[in-house]
Amino acid sequence: MILLGFVDDVLDVPWRVKLLLPSIAALPLLMAYAGHTTIIIPKPLISYVGQEVLDLGWVYKLYMGLLAVFCTNSINIHAGLNGLEVGQTVVIASAILIHNLMQIGASSDPEYKQAHAFSIYLVQPLLATSLALLSYNWYPSSVFVGDTYTYFAGMTMAVVGILGHYSETLLIFFLPQVLNFLLSLPQLSGYVKCPRHRLPRFNPETGLLTGTRDGTLINFYLRMVGPKSEKTLCIHLLLVQALGCCFCFLLRYLLAGWYK
Amino acid sequence: MAARKRASAADTKPSPPPQTQETTTLIDPPIAPPKKALIFKFCLFFSIPYFYLLYQYYTIEQELRRSILINASLCVTGFFLTQRMIPVASRYVLKRGLFGFDINKKGTPQGTVKVPESLGIVVGIVFLVLAILFQYFNFTADSNWLVEYNAALASICFMILLGFVDDVLDVPWRVKLLLPSIAALPLLMAYAGHTTIIIPKPLISYVGQEVLDLGWVYKLYMGLLAVFCTNSINIHAGLNGLEVGQTVVIASAILIHNLMQIGASSDPEYKQAHAFSIYLVQPLLATSLALLSYNCETLLIFFLPQVLNFLLSLPQLSGYVKCPRHRLPRFNPETGLLTGTRDGTLINFYLRMVGPKSEKTLCIHLLLVQALGCCFCFLLRYLLAGWYK
Repeated sequence: MILLGFVDDVLDVPWRVKLLLPSIAALPLLMAYAGHTTIIIPKPLISYVGQEVLDLGWVYKLYMGLLAVFCTNSINIHAGLNGLEVGQTVVIASAILIHNLMQIGASSDPEYKQAHAFSIYLVQPLLATSLALLSYNWYPSSVFVGDTYTYFAGMTMAVVGILGHYSETLLIFFLPQVLNFLLSLPQLSGYVKCPRHRLPRFNPETGLLTGTRDGTLINFYLRMVGPKSEKTLCIHLLLVQALGCCFCFLLRYLLAGWYK
Repeated sequence: MAARKRASAADTKPSPPPQTQETTTLIDPPIAPPKKALIFKFCLFFSIPYFYLLYQYYTIEQELRRSILINASLCVTGFFLTQRMIPVASRYVLKRGLFGFDINKKGTPQGTVKVPESLGIVVGIVFLVLAILFQYFNFTADSNWLVEYNAALASICFMILLGFVDDVLDVPWRVKLLLPSIAALPLLMAYAGHTTIIIPKPLISYVGQEVLDLGWVYKLYMGLLAVFCTNSINIHAGLNGLEVGQTVVIASAILIHNLMQIGASSDPEYKQAHAFSIYLVQPLLATSLALLSYNCETLLIFFLPQVLNFLLSLPQLSGYVKCPRHRLPRFNPETGLLTGTRDGTLINFYLRMVGPKSEKTLCIHLLLVQALGCCFCFLLRYLLAGWYK
């Protein structure tokens, strides 16, 4: 993915290629995934499904492939403000790290611990290098990160989520990105006219950004809370990200006894 | 070391009026059509020893042969895919200013044509796609095999990335030496084989042992080998078709060698090792042939010409003798011939020996030298087979 991201940054490849190639880049991952392809049905739904555990087989592998494609592209579209791409990665990666440590501490299954340790060994370098980039990319940005970074970060997090066997938790960490994706669907699918850039409108006199009618989380948030400066807006969105992660932890805690 | 002069902003000629420029780029492809006849001739020529070895000369297990052929058919698809993608990629690459001018055509009209650079990226990506997809079709794979295979892919992928970054950013040579060493690390980690060497029979009396365990020195040797191979092809370059041509020749020799070793051996692990090599060399060969069609113009011994070139280059690379930016032969626009300079490269050395040649003839000669080197290697192995090991 790093290779593809860099090639995309240099050559500006068409979007169809952007969707196809991550699917292929994810294949070694799927081949190497030697874990279960079953999901545990939440207790309240057992009566409807009829089973406690459902083996999805190849559908699970398809889900993992789609997850990889989703993660890589979702960070890429939830972007455009100084420090947003790296910032969201730092927030999510920190949450992943905490999650891994908690799971290792709370578990007694050595294989389970190894899976989360595997995730730590990859998330820590991601965090370290991203923090270094953030030191230059935070408002006001001296450098931009390019698709190279967003693809790299997205794929790394998808990889650790899949090989650490906690992809559902990962998806909840990605809640703002999911929201952004859903908001973007009408324009991405072509149903609504999609401009080249869907950034909020900048007013040079006031120095504030105003939300347009484009379907992104950034614009949606601005339309809700009113015009904001770029730095404040980015901080707000990162707080939203962090809140989403906390919500995930809360959810897991509440459902721990009841859910799985 | 790019042999094509990279176009700078100052050198770019002013473009023609926008309307004609746009219509020409829409109607005409950006590059000349591929030289399919050349590649077809090569494939025909090469398929004779390939199929003969695979089917007739040796009895190879059904499953192993099937895996090899599945890999080969995947590669044929890869060849056509690469051939289709190169003109497409050329457009993007030209648009972003990644092109050069052919130094060996300077003074002729062809010297003003913008030649797109870095099309190795197409080869690299298609190769990786083929290699990744093959994992699904290799039914003889176990988890150990997957580890080694993916380590190999990781090393290759990292090098493709570094190569492309170098093409775009033109990194300093220290970085070019350091990073391949790191790119080779997954390979070294995954290497689960022996680190012993077998002493040739005549030398046993001096060494005192039949088998010598080199331990970490062997791994160091492998790391240096990786750095050497990556850089040696890069410096034995500069003529139309030389880089890809030498790769095709060496890869073909490797493939024949692998088939012969599989056929002649009875040790299943040994066969698997050579099969592993085949699964990666076939995609390399297929994708390189596709690039070559546009670009025309027991392992260290297969690289004999590269080793020679490296040794000839040492005085200049080390700085002992003054080293210019390009060490290409001198092109005479009137005669169309290249003359050897006093630079220390195999190309110049050869030209000083045989006299001025046209670029195409020179390249063919050098590739024949390469092929002769490989034949010599086979002969050597055959002669020493009973005596040596």
